[in-house]
Amino acid sequence: MKNQTNTILQTEDLCKYYGSGDNLVKAVDHIDLQIMQGEFVSIIGKSGSGKSTLLHMLGALDNPTSGKVYLDGENIASLKADKLSTIRRRKIGFIFQAFNLIPALNVWENIVLPLGLDGKPLDEAFIEDIIATLGLAEKKRSLPNTLSGGQQQRCAIARAIAAKPSLILADEPTGNLDTKTGDEVMALLKASAQKYGQTLVVITHNEEIAQMADRTIMLADGRILSGGIPTDRKNDAKEAVFHAKN
Amino acid sequence: MRKTDTVFHLAWQRLRYNKSRTLLTGIAILLTTMLLTAIGTVGVASFDMNRQIYSLSDYHASFNGLTPKQVQTLSSHIRVEALQTSETFADIKNGKMNGVLTFTNVLRDDRAETADSNTHALTLEEGHYPEAENEICSSPVFFRRVGANPVVGGKVTLSFRVNGKGEIQTKDFIISGLMPDMEIDEGIDDSRLMWAAFVSKALLQAYEDAGFYAAEPNATLRVYGEEELTFDEMEDRILSVAADIGLEESHVNLNKEYLSTVTDPGTEIIAIVTVICLIIILFSALVIYSIYYVGVITDVQEIGKLKALGASRRQIAGMFYWQGTIVSAFAIPAGLLIGFLLPYLLFPLVLWAYRSGSAISSYSRDAVEAVTGQIHMFSLPVLFAAAAASLATVVVSLQKPIRMAKKVSPVEAIRYQENTTDQKSRKGHHTVKVSTLTFANLTRNKRRTAVTILTMGLSCVLFICVSAVLSSVSAEDIARRNIPKGDFRISLEYAHYFDKEYPENNLDSLVQKNYFSDAFLSQLLAIEGVEKVERAPGIILSSTDMESVMYEDYDGRQPLSYFTREDVAELSAYLEQGSIDYDRMTANNEIVCTHVYSFEQYGLSIGDTFSLTLHDGSREIPFTTTLTALTQPDSNFSFLIMTEDTWNSLGLTCDPTTDIYLYADDEHYDSVKESLLELVAVNEYFTLYAMDVELKIGRSGVDLTRNPIYLLLSLIAVIGFINLINTMITSIVTRKKELGILQALGLSDSQLVRMLSGEGLVFTAGTLLISLTLGNFFGYLFYKWAKQEHFMSISRYHYPLWQSICLALVLLGGQLLITLFIGQKMKKESLIERIRNQE
Repeated sequence: MKNQTNTILQTEDLCKYYGSGDNLVKAVDHIDLQIMQGEFVSIIGKSGSGKSTLLHMLGALDNPTSGKVYLDGENIASLKADKLSTIRRRKIGFIFQAFNLIPALNVWENIVLPLGLDGKPLDEAFIEDIIATLGLAEKKRSLPNTLSGGQQQRCAIARAIAAKPSLILADEPTGNLDTKTGDEVMALLKASAQKYGQTLVVITHNEEIAQMADRTIMLADGRILSGGIPTDRKNDAKEAVFHAKN
Repeated sequence: MRKTDTVFHLAWQRLRYNKSRTLLTGIAILLTTMLLTAIGTVGVASFDMNRQIYSLSDYHASFNGLTPKQVQTLSSHIRVEALQTSETFADIKNGKMNGVLTFTNVLRDDRAETADSNTHALTLEEGHYPEAENEICSSPVFFRRVGANPVVGGKVTLSFRVNGKGEIQTKDFIISGLMPDMEIDEGIDDSRLMWAAFVSKALLQAYEDAGFYAAEPNATLRVYGEEELTFDEMEDRILSVAADIGLEESHVNLNKEYLSTVTDPGTEIIAIVTVICLIIILFSALVIYSIYYVGVITDVQEIGKLKALGASRRQIAGMFYWQGTIVSAFAIPAGLLIGFLLPYLLFPLVLWAYRSGSAISSYSRDAVEAVTGQIHMFSLPVLFAAAAASLATVVVSLQKPIRMAKKVSPVEAIRYQENTTDQKSRKGHHTVKVSTLTFANLTRNKRRTAVTILTMGLSCVLFICVSAVLSSVSAEDIARRNIPKGDFRISLEYAHYFDKEYPENNLDSLVQKNYFSDAFLSQLLAIEGVEKVERAPGIILSSTDMESVMYEDYDGRQPLSYFTREDVAELSAYLEQGSIDYDRMTANNEIVCTHVYSFEQYGLSIGDTFSLTLHDGSREIPFTTTLTALTQPDSNFSFLIMTEDTWNSLGLTCDPTTDIYLYADDEHYDSVKESLLELVAVNEYFTLYAMDVELKIGRSGVDLTRNPIYLLLSLIAVIGFINLINTMITSIVTRKKELGILQALGLSDSQLVRMLSGEGLVFTAGTLLISLTLGNFFGYLFYKWAKQEHFMSISRYHYPLWQSICLALVLLGGQLLITLFIGQKMKKESLIERIRNQE
């Protein structure tokens, strides 16, 4: 991917703990990571490794126990609820494993929902373009319960992209789909993100999907095993350390 | 654990887990039981009170205008069980005091254990009933009023006119007995009270022998058969007794209240109680049903899981029945207790308020006083019935939800995503705003939305409907019958018959005195605080030489007045017969009759022509007129009225004013009243009507009926409101995850609250729409019916404005509070917990 010049997302010493004493669970434990503008990053790890918790904090859905999350240079861990809502609808697009479409709204309405909540005017041509790209042109008026799993997830992707967010967070987007559909959806997601210049962070169990990414962050027991910092930046960091030592 | 234990345990745990739902169901069941018990108990109490009050006057009928011979025949009639006569011997003449001297006598009472021919149906505190010609008895307050010392053996001098006519007689009496004392409100003008004292047979006899008195006794009697006969059979028997003594039916008055109470114990009360209870059961059933219905929809997955684990359809049903039973086991006894205590504590209060408020109608006050505190209202069958009805309501409400739960298949349940619509697509909106979300949610389950609006609407319709009648039960309307305008009325009291002995009492003489002169009006206006003084339309007396029942009754005089062109609309609105055309009536000297009862009594008919003489002071004006319309308007009009133009063409020389209205400012009301009381005390022909007294009289009756009904209504409204709370809570709780997703997509907290309040507003608006349209429509019909039935002397329709406003405010405020409350409660859970919910 191109444009890997600016850091869009960065965490510092990020922690999320549940419970206390013997029952203390360190879901996310002192994580530092950095994701660049336009990058496609996959996060892998076993069940309970803290992937989803990390993603929720990156997407301002959950508050960290300690540490910082910088989105476009702003620490979102300290913002108030209303400001976070605005950030979510303007800068972040979510894709969930369970699709999570709003059952009362049709496909079109689901897609334009984040824009509507923000009171933004519709870029109709852009939306139509996304719908066409994702193959939903015939289904605009359909209600979610009449769609197949693949169609529902494509609708969720369209919804995530529609508000032109700089960051798309996807939590196991193919987890509920068969392999073939999953591959198709993933290809569409990557292509769309690329087409509209968006940063894509995907949680997955699927090795193939992980390999499609520019970089893979591996988690275990709430800590990063590898991939936390972009490769070129890693060198910068090492250099910095080197310079500091000398 | 045995199978049933497991099902019971499951039910118990589910109740504990769904606390708010359990609480709502519990409250709904409690309120239902409470209302049913309360209404049943009030029914028992009312029945007992009626029984007690009516048994104070336990005669079956009164026969009026009897001859002494008829009385004699009656007293030995085989069907007659008890007979009491009363004769109004004379009118007391003592300034403006209204009073009569009467004689009562119990001629026969087969129920009495010892034959005592000398009872007079009076309760005496001391002394005995008058026997000698100069003996008298009454209440001490009466003797104080006539300036005598109220002690047995004391002397009192009274002036009176025998039969209300003839010359005034003055006589010394000895007080032979004293009845219980009474308190009289001092703020009431003397002329508004009615006094009575009792004299002896010997006195009547002496006057009769001298040819001054013609006895025309009235009798009250009981006939045999009260225990066995129906109302109709009793009526037939009484009429046959009347026929036997040659008495016309029109002279017989049945004591319908007592007769219906003894022949038909409480049928009316039972009917009313049953109807109210059925309405309550209907509303409660809808509410409880909707709580369980939404509960099943919410728990489809859980039910599915239970089925997947092997729960049978019977066990699922059993689980729901247990849930209903457990909640009922707590709620029903509590409801029974509160439902019984409520009337037990409130009923005496209501009666007490009534007693202290009613100063004038001493009969009903005594009656109520006699029963206060001793009303029997505990009834085991009523409590059992209430408990059974509540339990039945729960069981019935459970049927449909249980059928739904039984049908849930394990697979369907685990996959479940709420899909209560068969809709495949939706036209939708181009852009999505908060309002689009609100609307989409409401239309997603149209049936649930409609059922909620309907149940809430119906209980509110009931509220508005009954309010329309109750707000028309107005103390002010009752007061306005005596004071149509302003705050006070000074009325010229003229003889209602033609007084030959004292012609100065007749209106044609009084008008010549010109009491209501401009100078007098100026004097009134000069009182500090009097804002305006106004003359009421004048009245002129008419007489006729023709043979006419109408003119015989009042010894040859009937009052006539006029109506204006503006009055035509009201007169026409209540037109019963004939037609009213102002110009035609002016051209042909036509008149209107404004009293249906008298019209029939006098045997009048439209088209009757009369040759009348109008008495303008001593001047006589010949006037030939035709009666062309019969109407019964709300406002006070004279018995016969002509057009204002006809009236003006009479060229009256005397001022025909008989009534004056005064307007006082609120601040000086009391001092104005005081001055007026002093002023009218000087002239024996003046009577003062004061608004505060009239209102007090009006209110005492109105509150007794109105307040308990409002209490009942508010409880029904509470059930409706529980329905609203339930709908709001369940609609939010079931969509917790969906709302979480919306928030994840950027719906801010304030937008969420707006969306939810929007939904609530639609419920509220729908409810208000239904209750204000249907409620007002049925309310008006109900009012018309109540007016026709003379319920609480309703005469004018009052739109239930403040009740409607209250309803709107409570609904709006209530649903906003609920939304905010749930919104706050939800914030405590993190977004992630909400999104994960139900996964």
